[in-house]
Amino acid sequence: MSRALRIAAVIVALVVGLVAPGPAQVQVAGGSLIVQAPAEPPGLDLTASPASAIAAVVHYNIQECLVRIDKSGKLLPWLAERWYSTDNLNYTFFLKKGVKFHNGREFKAPDVKFVLERALNPETKHPHRKHYEDIAAIHVGDDYTVTVSLKRVNASFLLNLARQGSVIYPREAADTLKSHPVGTGPFVFSDWVRGDRIVLAKNKDYHVKGLPYLDRITFRFIPDPNSALAALKAGDVDVLAFGLGPESVPELKSDPRFAVIQGDTTNDVILALNNSRKPFDDVRVRRAITHAINKEEVIKGAMFGLGRPLGSNIDPLNPYHVDMARAVPHDPERAKKLLAESGYPNGFETVLKVPPQYYYTVRSGEVIVNQLTKVGIKVKLEQIEWGQWLARIYRNADYDMTIIGHAESWDAGNYANPGYYFRYNSSKFQKVYAESEVTLDEKKRRELYLQLQKIMVEEAPVVWLFVHPRLVATKKGVQGIWKDLPTPSMDLSEVYWAR
Amino acid sequence: MRSFIVRRLFALIVTLFFVSVLVFVVIRIIPGDPALIIMGTEGSPEAAERLREAMGLNRPLPVQYLEWIGRALRGDLGHSIQYDVPVAQLILSRLAVTGPLTLLAALFMVVAAIPLGIFAATRHRRWGDYLAMTLSQVGISIPSFWAGLLLILLFSVKLGWLQAGGFDGWMHGVGPALRSLMLPAVALGLFQFAVLARTTRSAILEVLREEYVKTARAKGLAEPSVLVKHALKNALIPVVTVVGLQLGQLMAGSIILESVFYLPGLGRLALGAITARDLPVVQGVVLFVASVIVFINVAVDVLYGVLDPRIRYE
Repeated sequence: MSRALRIAAVIVALVVGLVAPGPAQVQVAGGSLIVQAPAEPPGLDLTASPASAIAAVVHYNIQECLVRIDKSGKLLPWLAERWYSTDNLNYTFFLKKGVKFHNGREFKAPDVKFVLERALNPETKHPHRKHYEDIAAIHVGDDYTVTVSLKRVNASFLLNLARQGSVIYPREAADTLKSHPVGTGPFVFSDWVRGDRIVLAKNKDYHVKGLPYLDRITFRFIPDPNSALAALKAGDVDVLAFGLGPESVPELKSDPRFAVIQGDTTNDVILALNNSRKPFDDVRVRRAITHAINKEEVIKGAMFGLGRPLGSNIDPLNPYHVDMARAVPHDPERAKKLLAESGYPNGFETVLKVPPQYYYTVRSGEVIVNQLTKVGIKVKLEQIEWGQWLARIYRNADYDMTIIGHAESWDAGNYANPGYYFRYNSSKFQKVYAESEVTLDEKKRRELYLQLQKIMVEEAPVVWLFVHPRLVATKKGVQGIWKDLPTPSMDLSEVYWAR
Repeated sequence: MRSFIVRRLFALIVTLFFVSVLVFVVIRIIPGDPALIIMGTEGSPEAAERLREAMGLNRPLPVQYLEWIGRALRGDLGHSIQYDVPVAQLILSRLAVTGPLTLLAALFMVVAAIPLGIFAATRHRRWGDYLAMTLSQVGISIPSFWAGLLLILLFSVKLGWLQAGGFDGWMHGVGPALRSLMLPAVALGLFQFAVLARTTRSAILEVLREEYVKTARAKGLAEPSVLVKHALKNALIPVVTVVGLQLGQLMAGSIILESVFYLPGLGRLALGAITARDLPVVQGVVLFVASVIVFINVAVDVLYGVLDPRIRYE
């Protein structure tokens, strides 16, 4: 063998060695996992409350939907194996056979009819009735076929069937879901020690073969981030799911006993402006504020540099996302010019209210006050308790500016609703949004979503600051936790301990 | 003595009536609508209105109050909005944590503070006194949540001897349960221990200046027997009063420690209920804790009357 050939062989061997998969991790079934969660769910009924703390425990783990959103944000058939529609008004779903509820009864078409009709019934106080209001009729074909007829074309219909409010449960459990949720999911509800923990056990009859791996999951409620960190370090919990502050990331990353997972969420942190109040009713003022804010600096100051700058409500995990984060760049000079044009050459005084329940609102607020001062806007920063935030700001729009994270995915509709607390009333935006809701053609819909994002940037109803990062810390050896969080729910069916 | 106790009990009932009205009114005055909080940022105004109606929140306040207090007198404190279980049952299950935690803290405080106070008093203005008082100054200066975090860092994170928090219940045996309450009890009792040590010291110093102690010494009694036989019983009167008051303060302070050590106790129940505007729970817990504190105060009064006959006839 010549030398050149030998060298070539070595290089080939090296390259092959690099790209060949290493020894696959053996997925060992068994074991239990203790997961820290910062907030205890207010009951466990997803059909009664919209709280994401409930979804984090119940959705995907205990209860499932006909359709699901996978870890990359795509729609997948789930309890419905497939569906077809010739006119986009009548959808016929073919259900997966042999799926059992946790109470032992088989899941069949009448269950789908019952669940959807109960959600539609105003008496049952379903928190998201608007997701189903286009449904005209539900017809059970046989045990495994069900047809849903719509009043009008609705492009979000399938997506809405994948949301947390669309979980399927047996009719006999409907009245006790709040304290004992029953579903078809990989884990069975086992115990809830109020104020302390919720325990789930493996569903031995799960309809996906080989899953779940874990025998038991315990959610422990530890609200204080310092206590949560100490609990992880002392070995009392295995996973910090939602309670890891960005300030602790570097320390945990350098500790060989732990692993840190960093990804994206759909939690858009925004500086909301009350578009119905002077001077925020003037688009030039809103753009001036956007120009005055340096998003990178906010992320550095509030999030220790973790988080992605954001330019519109369509976040990076949305398939139609276009990066608009720098479409209105940080430019204090332009901000001052716009303020002068709109009649505020010396700026103005305003109040920024932040709910300290979410630490990032206070920290971001402090940075933003400083940035706005530089263009002449004098901001008073006030903290407001969560209950009051909901009553005064969210319900009555009694505010100038506030900072909050909106965790829901696919929530552009809020900007098309003039009654929403932004009080953003743009016929242009509303028209395009309404059209996008009845457009099923993928290419056309993408085009409409691009338009929506452009309108948002132009009219600047709020300032989109950053996407809150997904930060998870685990004990070494915990595998299979989703990197990104395209919905507020947390699927633990594929989590296992590497031994 | 009997009329003294009757007067005290009457005062107790009047106090509790005012407390119940105050709790009821305050929890309804603070802004924040329970229905809205349950709905979060996704609910519609109509849905919130329906929920308010279901919770009986749109009836006149006096009607709501009378209904609540009438049921409370029969031991029915209503139903928790967020947990869907009776409030009385919640309080009892949380008392199984807060009760032992408070008592452990009190035990630590008494066992550590009274000997230290006596030690300091008998070494008045010597190094032992200064050392003891410096120690208690430290105890007064450290906030309890900080003490709790330091204890966690040392005993759980560094040494790994005790768990960093949580409480697995009494069914796994008394030993493990008490072990998980040890750190929070010490952190909770630290401030009160320091206060009690100072109180004990000054009470003993006060008594040691009395004529009868001088007489006892003049008779040639040994110092320990002077202390135990003559000084201690009389010095204990103010100490007992302070301990009684401190029990109430320990109960109030447990809110903070239960959050640091994530213990499922009454304090955290109250805190979560206020945040969620779970009105029946807030009312129930506050009424319960207020009853306990008022009751302790009356018990201290009566005990005081037993220890010091002069009090009874005032």
